[in-house]
Amino acid sequence: MTGEDLRPQILVRDVSKSFSGRVVVDVDELVLGDVPVEGLLGPNGAGKTTLMRLIMHSIPLDGGTVTLSRPGQRDVLLSATRTSQMAGLGVVKSTQVITDFEHLTILDSALLAVTEARYERPFAAAADRTVRKRHEEEIRHWLDYFGFDDPLAVALSGGDKKLLDIVRCLLLEPAVLLLDEPTAGLSEDHTERVKAAVRQLASRGTSVVIVEHDLDVIWDLCDEVIFMAEGKVLLKDKPATIRANPTVVESYLGAGSA
Amino acid sequence: MNLDWLDAFLIFGAFKVVEIMGLGLLVHLQLGLTRVANFGVVGFWGVGLYAFGVAHLKIDWPFGDPYQFLVCAAIATIVAAAAGLVVGWLISDLDDDGTLVGTLGFATIVVILATTQQGLTGGALGLGGLGFPYDFSRVKTHEFTWLLITAAVVALIFAYAWRVHRTPHGRLLIAVGANEALARSLGKSATAARLRMMMVTSGAMGLLGAMHGVMVRSLEINSLDVSVTLAALAALILGGTARVFGAVVGVLLTVALFDIVIQFYLPIPDGWNTQALPVAREAVFGAAIVLMLIFRPQGLLGQMRRPALMRRLHGDW
Ligand SMILES: Nc1ncnc2c1ncn2[C@@H]1O[C@H](COP(=O)(O)OP(=O)(O)O)[C@@H](O)[C@H]1O
Ligand SMILES: [Mg+2]
Repeated sequence: MTGEDLRPQILVRDVSKSFSGRVVVDVDELVLGDVPVEGLLGPNGAGKTTLMRLIMHSIPLDGGTVTLSRPGQRDVLLSATRTSQMAGLGVVKSTQVITDFEHLTILDSALLAVTEARYERPFAAAADRTVRKRHEEEIRHWLDYFGFDDPLAVALSGGDKKLLDIVRCLLLEPAVLLLDEPTAGLSEDHTERVKAAVRQLASRGTSVVIVEHDLDVIWDLCDEVIFMAEGKVLLKDKPATIRANPTVVESYLGAGSA
Repeated sequence: MNLDWLDAFLIFGAFKVVEIMGLGLLVHLQLGLTRVANFGVVGFWGVGLYAFGVAHLKIDWPFGDPYQFLVCAAIATIVAAAAGLVVGWLISDLDDDGTLVGTLGFATIVVILATTQQGLTGGALGLGGLGFPYDFSRVKTHEFTWLLITAAVVALIFAYAWRVHRTPHGRLLIAVGANEALARSLGKSATAARLRMMMVTSGAMGLLGAMHGVMVRSLEINSLDVSVTLAALAALILGGTARVFGAVVGVLLTVALFDIVIQFYLPIPDGWNTQALPVAREAVFGAAIVLMLIFRPQGLLGQMRRPALMRRLHGDW
């Protein structure tokens, strides 16, 4: 395939992380982004979320490096980059745990995601509407797409907060998007919409990595699946191969589900 | 201007109301929006007061007022803003308790410096010799004019706070206060946002300190006591930390009530004004904070009303 080298990639090398002496992540080498959509599978506690947080550098690494390479641009050592600079580099992650900004409305959240730093200074002259005008189209697109009919309200339900988290990620126009159980707790319709959005994004060049317990989402969406257990990457292969692998079936999928 | 009807004490009472309102509005931006609990308000205000006084009295300026006032007030603002930046940076990785201790510690350092640097500040004795940057021949006219000028400055602070709610800057502050990790993941530097806010608000606190120096015309170590912080916090917490009008309403119900209504319009025995009342006032303010935090922590005006504001700004969405 010709497009393969043209995707943004993340190279994880010798990355380890322990919590109170227990090794939670220990990855020798892992390349993310050589296919459009990758699934990250593994039993609870395998270290999937921790690995994603290490990539985002939202928790410190015990050792190793994480490097971002984007076609036509210089490589960036993510493990030496602040979390707040990740979005600017195009590396974006949704959160597994439902999370939101207290008090802020749905539109606030969306505007916050798209607002450039220069408009956010204490004496910046531009009013809110200036920022809105610049990004109204994309905000409207995604809010309508996920069926937010009153963006001037605060997101109340867990599902709405989960979707809003995804909307914020999409508005950041990620080069690499890490999704940590994005469809957990969503309705079937919303799950389908998230899947379609992921496909669309991937088709436009974003590398997507997705952790998901709903295996149908994984088999449906992913071009490749990584299997993790006890902090280590054990397998990386086509979905069909992973699905048939005895280790995976035994330790994760359980008899009969393959 | 005939100001015979106006009691000099009333002017001072009103000045205090205006001044604490200004501080309360600034604490609103720190605590109400950004969730930075500054217990050292008097430190930033005091740095402004002393920087102004020292610059005014110890430097031989080649020009007179009003330029001398403007330059010295600018120095006070800059010094206080720098203090806000440094303190903000020192507390940037600390939790709420650390912030409390850090800001309180800063205020203490200011008092210690003001006391020990006698050559500059006059130490515990203080320094006289400050004055109004104009001359209308009558003291009462001077004071009343200064009250009006200070009120205008506080009106500007109000306008700024009011506008912050309506700008991307305010949204960022609320986001950083509510969920710093999430804000960071959206590419926001929470630290930079907080430092900028601390610089602006501390600078304005310093300016209010300088204006206070002009009104009382001297540097006094006693003015740096905790009652300034307490008054601003009590007022804001009573009114509602998250609302722009919180400080305004709160100050009217606390400082205005005590320093104007009770002091001037209630028949209080002689001597109480100077002795019992200040103590009672502090006790009541402290109690007000405690009671509000227990029974109505969001204050009289209640929670932030972001949806209502957004409807006003983006009703056509
Ligand atoms: N902040 C933390 N402190 C201590 N232990 C943690 C922390 N975060 C995760 N862990 C532990 O690390 C292991 C991996 O967690 P996680 O990465 O969330 O797994 P997964 O997402 O694959 O379910 C779990 O055993 C979890 O309890
Ligand atoms: Mg997880």
